[in-house]
Amino acid sequence: MSEEMEKETEEPRIGVYICHCGLNIAATVDVEEVAEYAKTLPNVVISRHYVFMCSEPGQDLIREDIKKYNLNRVVVASCSPSMHEPTFRSVLESAGLNKYLLEMANIREHCSWIHDDKKAATEKAKDLVRMAVAKARLLEPLEEKEFSVKPSVLIVGGGVSGMRAALELSQYGFDIYLIDKSPTLGGKAALVGYVDSTRGSEIVGKMVKLIKSNPKIHVFTNSELVEFSGFPGNFKVKIRVNPRYVDEKCNLCGECEKVCPVEVANEYNFGLNKRKAIFLPFKESYPPYYVIDDKVCTKCGECVKVCNYNAINLDQQPSTLELDVGALIVAIGYDPYEPSRGEYGYGLSDNVITLFQLERLLDPDGPTNGELIINGKEPKSIAFIFCVGSRNTGPNAKPYCSRMCCTSSLNSAIKIKDKYPDVDIYILYKDIMTYGNDERLYEEAGKRFIKFVKFEEPPDVILDKEKLFVDVYEYTIQEYLRIPVDLVVLAVGMVPRHDMDELTAVIRASCSGDGFLKELHLKLAPVDSSTKGVFLAGAATGPKNIIESIKMGSAAASKAMSLLSKGKVTAEPTIAHVNEDLCSGCGICVSVCPYDAISIKVVDGDRLANVEEALCMGCGSCATACPSGAMQHLGFKDIQIKSQISALFGGGV
Amino acid sequence: MSQENFEPKIVVFACNWCAYSAADLAGTSRMHYPPNVRIIRVMCSGRVDPQFVLDAFSQGADGVLVAGCHPPADCHYIDGNYKAFRRLMLLERLLESMGIEKERFRLEWISASEAEKWVKVIKEMVETLKKLGPLKPKLEVTK
Repeated sequence: MSEEMEKETEEPRIGVYICHCGLNIAATVDVEEVAEYAKTLPNVVISRHYVFMCSEPGQDLIREDIKKYNLNRVVVASCSPSMHEPTFRSVLESAGLNKYLLEMANIREHCSWIHDDKKAATEKAKDLVRMAVAKARLLEPLEEKEFSVKPSVLIVGGGVSGMRAALELSQYGFDIYLIDKSPTLGGKAALVGYVDSTRGSEIVGKMVKLIKSNPKIHVFTNSELVEFSGFPGNFKVKIRVNPRYVDEKCNLCGECEKVCPVEVANEYNFGLNKRKAIFLPFKESYPPYYVIDDKVCTKCGECVKVCNYNAINLDQQPSTLELDVGALIVAIGYDPYEPSRGEYGYGLSDNVITLFQLERLLDPDGPTNGELIINGKEPKSIAFIFCVGSRNTGPNAKPYCSRMCCTSSLNSAIKIKDKYPDVDIYILYKDIMTYGNDERLYEEAGKRFIKFVKFEEPPDVILDKEKLFVDVYEYTIQEYLRIPVDLVVLAVGMVPRHDMDELTAVIRASCSGDGFLKELHLKLAPVDSSTKGVFLAGAATGPKNIIESIKMGSAAASKAMSLLSKGKVTAEPTIAHVNEDLCSGCGICVSVCPYDAISIKVVDGDRLANVEEALCMGCGSCATACPSGAMQHLGFKDIQIKSQISALFGGGV
Repeated sequence: MSQENFEPKIVVFACNWCAYSAADLAGTSRMHYPPNVRIIRVMCSGRVDPQFVLDAFSQGADGVLVAGCHPPADCHYIDGNYKAFRRLMLLERLLESMGIEKERFRLEWISASEAEKWVKVIKEMVETLKKLGPLKPKLEVTK
């Protein structure tokens, strides 16, 4: 037994540290009283309170006490362990103590911040400290295991964020698997959006060019993640590659498209025009081949007949790709908010369109080659309605601001005004959120006599035979206005992808109340998911513009990089452990383990449970199911949890 | 003990990923609720041995709450919440046969973003338990 281990199995000598967190805790909890009380608890050698335990002097206090008082257990009563458990664990480590000999009592989030009554809060804090001390007495030193990592990363989502992450990571020699559910890379930025005056599609085009020539980036479109298991550094993933039916022999001649009899709404122009069942998503799509949408294709075979290059194979089947990857980056993007039929007249008139549709109309590669033509006519008067689907403006609207719609709308309005100076443009807004440098757009719009109309109550769109009016109560001049217009543009926001549930079920990531993927911690781990080794990028976590998505792609890449760069990862040792003297080899644990981490081994004729440590994720299901108590969850042993219960009610361990 | 002044003690077994985080969020959002709960953190609701619940009741808890991630797929460990559900529904029936009112025990699914639900459940439980009164005296009578 090492010296360290010996020290830790001696009679417990516990130090208790009560944090004031400035006044966050101290204003509601009598920290001095709690510290005094802790001195009366069994095995407590020293108890202190200090203004910020997490600060450098606070940490030093613990380190010095560990040496001075020969402490072998530490209890810190402060914030949630999700905040500072790693901080205090490293304090123990630096003082030569095993870092799993720390127990935290959450007296901030679970006590001072939720109570007013100082007496009740102090009593509660004492209980929580007593429970923590009881558990600390039974803590054991645990040893972290090291595993080698796979030098590869899977990126789900081939938009700007995912592509940026792929490009960053490929520089370090990792193999990058970049998959997208759609038949092309590029995501939404290939269709809409600007960064200053650069179109999103130009940015996408540049990234695609770099990806094409990068041998380390392996692109799979029409592909989805269907299985995900393993542990950080060593994930096993299964990808379903759906058939494209058209291969690299395609030279984009377009003959197939001409003969295809199936016509459906073109999602790449947000339904403004039709496309065939065999189609090219957009001019710059990558891979640069046609694709068949098998949801609508009747397999009539007309396209096969006219293809001179033998590029079409209607019998193609889905294939499965199994990969070992070290990390996963999720960059699945967003969906535009789809107004319901009748919401501001949407769906009732061709002259009510969304911002996404307008941007396609203004795009030189769009359905009208950049001409603003609706039903064969140029509109003379246009009203933009802001915050559609955002900021609680309607029954289905989300509570949040979608960040990009104000800037995008003003960008489009300015472009229209520059091209068609006679058009009257009205911006009906709740507030203008052109933050940062985009404030310039607000000024530019003013210079062009674009009229700003402020509302508190959302406007009404009136369809009167052939005519279109917008009724609004102008908040600044306090007057009702009826504005006759030819076109209404709904500045719709961003919502979580419609297929978010399918992905979260596979990767077991959690979502926020808004339905976007949730970061582990907004400030401390903004691109980490709750699953270690899975990182988040782009609008999958909430509304973002192109630049913000690109930045987040870089950030996620650097987080994946820091996980994989050392070539090995340490796994949490709070996993299942078998006491072989008690195990009867009944195998109940084998049946409840969700990771197939437990098997039965036979040693000298005895059946015994065996935990594959690399596979165990530490849920503790097996420990609960074990009828003999042989299977224990380290760090959460039966006896440790029971000690907390007993301590709460004043009993012994 | 007069029922009006009675302050029930509630033991909560909260899973690390959903319910414990919801309680953290309630704290960071400064949502106020009664100080009657004491949370024991477990990694998964599937770790909650029915014995822990019985221990809590036998030692003085007036109520026990087990809180985990929403079915079907929120569980960080795939299906620990279902395991908890199966075990604890069985336990609920046993509790009744032991003379412990079933209102004293609750199993709830509370996601990390549902601080409001967390507060609502705690408030409801405190109210229910105040009406039911303490558990201990009754147990002593039945001895």
